Amino acid sequence: MALFPLSSNFEGDFVLQLVAVDSENTMDEVAAACAHHSLNRRVAPRPGTILRVRRQGAKDYFPRDLKVADSGLAPTETVEIMFEAVR
Amino acid sequence: MALLNRMDWYNLARTTNWTPAYVTEDELFPPELSGGFGLPATAWEGYDEPYKQTYPEYVKVQREKDAGAYSVKAALERSQIFENADPGWKSVMKAHYGAIARGEYAAASAEARMMRFSKAPGMRNMATLGCMDEIRHGQIQLFFPHEHVSKDRQMDWAYKAYDTNEWAMIAARHFFDDIMMTRDAISVSIMLTFSFETGFTNMQFLGLAADAAEAGDHTFANLISSIQTDESRHAQIGGPALKVLIENGMKDEAQKRVDIAVWTAWKLFSVLTGPIMDYYTPLEHRKQSFKEFMEEWIVAQFERALTDLGLDLPWYWDKFIADLNDTHHGMHMGVYYWRPTVWWNPAAGVTPEERNWLEQKYPGWNDTWGKCWDVIIDNVVDGNMALTFPETLPMVCNMCQLPIIGTPGNGWNVQDYPLEYNGRLYHFGSDVDRWVFQQDPARYAGHLNLVDRFLAGMIQPMDLSGALQYMNIAPGECGDDAHNYAWAETYRAMRELKLAS
Repeated sequence: MALFPLSSNFEGDFVLQLVAVDSENTMDEVAAACAHHSLNRRVAPRPGTILRVRRQGAKDYFPRDLKVADSGLAPTETVEIMFEAVR
Repeated sequence: MALLNRMDWYNLARTTNWTPAYVTEDELFPPELSGGFGLPATAWEGYDEPYKQTYPEYVKVQREKDAGAYSVKAALERSQIFENADPGWKSVMKAHYGAIARGEYAAASAEARMMRFSKAPGMRNMATLGCMDEIRHGQIQLFFPHEHVSKDRQMDWAYKAYDTNEWAMIAARHFFDDIMMTRDAISVSIMLTFSFETGFTNMQFLGLAADAAEAGDHTFANLISSIQTDESRHAQIGGPALKVLIENGMKDEAQKRVDIAVWTAWKLFSVLTGPIMDYYTPLEHRKQSFKEFMEEWIVAQFERALTDLGLDLPWYWDKFIADLNDTHHGMHMGVYYWRPTVWWNPAAGVTPEERNWLEQKYPGWNDTWGKCWDVIIDNVVDGNMALTFPETLPMVCNMCQLPIIGTPGNGWNVQDYPLEYNGRLYHFGSDVDRWVFQQDPARYAGHLNLVDRFLAGMIQPMDLSGALQYMNIAPGECGDDAHNYAWAETYRAMRELKLAS
């Protein structure tokens, strides 16, 4: 349990933002924390989608239940929060 | 007694170099202050300033300039121009005075370094006049806004801004510290006068003078035109220095300084001047878009000046040209969204008519920046005001100290440009900002940007109130929407009309 700062790059938004999560948070929880600062503020919701997290520049998303502490992310590293269509 | 013509004595009088007998040349001109680039004093004696003026001429002309500016101010003092000005225009004045006035005063010190430590006699003479110019600019741009302090607390930031940790001021200080306060005399001449003043100052002062005259603010228009006539003289200090360096095989060193200063100046102007021209100035008073102004005053100007000198265009020139379409829109949105953290009231500038203008000047604006504004506008119309204010900090570039932004909406391309150096992870807003850092990492590595300071616990409590306190923004000084959201009425009416049909 430790505060873990990340840089949130939310799909469709215009700015990177500092988002504080917990090292025990899952990637779904990271996505929700990042969405709090972008979604419905400057980015419109997209029905039929969920949010996924990936390291900046990576092709693959982190598993949804992966904890921050196990992700290999460094403090303040930038993650991309992307809309993914619900299958 | 008959006076000689200026050119009969000027060159002789200003050639005051001599061979020191009691100290070494390095003691007389310490390299870290003088920046001789290893060239002998004789090489610098070839410096030929294009604008020659003597001290008596200078005093006579400056007296007339001051008399002109101060009499316009006196004549219009009871005119209620400030009271009746559009709130967007008041924000232009507040942003300008806060970011510029004390920076001008600091520039006197940079000019004084050239005046004392340059090995080029002609530069020392021009910088003597330049130093007095900057003292005048500092004083006059503090005196003129002072009459408005009693009417509007934010006007106090004309004096106060540089003493604070307000985020835009950290950015301004970082830039001016880098290009003029901590560089040797020759580097100052290249980075401050050639790279910054020739183009960017021209744009701020000429562009704003045109907009001020259109807005009916003749005091401000006259003031900044008066300043610009000084700038256009002392901005010419750097050109001949570049010529000396190039002629003596130092082109790479010269080019590097130009490339660094032009880019960092651009970033600062993208947040200071971009929003002013394209969003704050009332639509009917806009002469040109920010991009059009940049193309005319910066792009064309630098391309010509660099080519004439035998320098290359900066390696990032294509990216710079492309960024003229985008960067300042992001800076505006950042300033607006984080508006409690600035000392002026940003005008949103997004009425349907203004959006049409933006779309015309920047094709694709509605599909990109407009997408974010659609959400903000809906929140204002719906009364969800809490969603129009931030609850966290933007990530800030470790070079320009400004938010890391990119194009949103359908053109989404926001990206971090990270760099790990000595075990610390740095973040940059572009590959050029990162390149500037890499030119001299030790110079920049120790600086903490606002986010670094927040994470280091220097901002307490760790929320908006703590941030405002850290930035010295007192109650009554926080920025809010310039027009108190009156612009949203049009959208409210449009929505009601749509519902009714």
